Amino acid sequence: MATQEHAHPHSYKQYFTTWCWLLGMTLLALGLGYLHLPGGIKAFLLVGITLAKIFLIGSIFMHLKTERVNLVMLTFTPLILSIILFAFTAGESREGVPSHKLENVSPAFVMPTGPHEAGAEAKPEEKAEEKK
Amino acid sequence: MESTSLAEQQRILASDWGGGKSPFGTSWSKFMMWIFIISDALTFAGFLIAYGFMRKVAPAWPNQMEDVFSPVLITFMTFVLISSSAVMAMAVSAAKAHDPKTAVRYIAMTIFGGAIFLACQVYEWAHFIGEGATLTKNPWGVPQFSASFFVITGFHGFHVLSGLTILAIVALRAAMGKYSADSVENAGLYWHFVDVVWVFVFAFYYLL
Repeated sequence: MATQEHAHPHSYKQYFTTWCWLLGMTLLALGLGYLHLPGGIKAFLLVGITLAKIFLIGSIFMHLKTERVNLVMLTFTPLILSIILFAFTAGESREGVPSHKLENVSPAFVMPTGPHEAGAEAKPEEKAEEKK
Repeated sequence: MESTSLAEQQRILASDWGGGKSPFGTSWSKFMMWIFIISDALTFAGFLIAYGFMRKVAPAWPNQMEDVFSPVLITFMTFVLISSSAVMAMAVSAAKAHDPKTAVRYIAMTIFGGAIFLACQVYEWAHFIGEGATLTKNPWGVPQFSASFFVITGFHGFHVLSGLTILAIVALRAAMGKYSADSVENAGLYWHFVDVVWVFVFAFYYLL
């Protein structure tokens, strides 16, 4: 019982410190949101703050700090691989050339923007079905 | 001399990388929870990347933070979720120290925080829909804007709702005496994960 009472306040104190850090970084991120910085710098700082918060939550709240390296690797490897995978899609979105790729996509994949366009898209599909 | 150092090396290697009967050093339920969290994290990664992709391809994008949403409300929601996550971590500590009464009390506080968060989200959705936003159109002109909003915050909100259900079940079972530190810890892991996802949504959807 004595060890429990000793163990409690210690870990609670660590959780409280973590909570304070998380709160501070949230307010910092909010302040960054109001600032009119160039898009790239703002994104870089926000990603940095977010990763720092994730690191704190993961290591202290989710106890990854005390888990085996195996489990830590298991949690982060798929996410890092997915980021690499997603990075390859960046070339498909050309900045300043809006929806230039969408022209080559079948109409079925393009979200209808209004009743007029939705009707126009429905017609070719009907014709295709008639031919069959 | 060399053989002892080799044995020592193998022992060190085995402690971190060794298979044996429990390569991850966790209970099966905690391991399964981690597997679930990883796959769920990949789902949300897909959503956020799709959102980023749509935003880059779209000819224009509304200034979400200044023209559409209330940053004060979103920051309050983040504060509530982070606080509930910290309280949940305390509940897990109490459960591990064989103190179910304290654990149940902290889980109840966590549920209270999650309920406040959901209430804020319901208010936000009602406000957004009241302004004329639907899945396929919105007054700000870019249909992808409201579509990504409803899908991302909707999926996250549903995760919060599921988390509240799981926490309520764990708290009820603990109050009935069917109590295990593992179940509290697993529910806690899920709840922290919901918090992690919100931290990403907060930064990339609302602030960027």
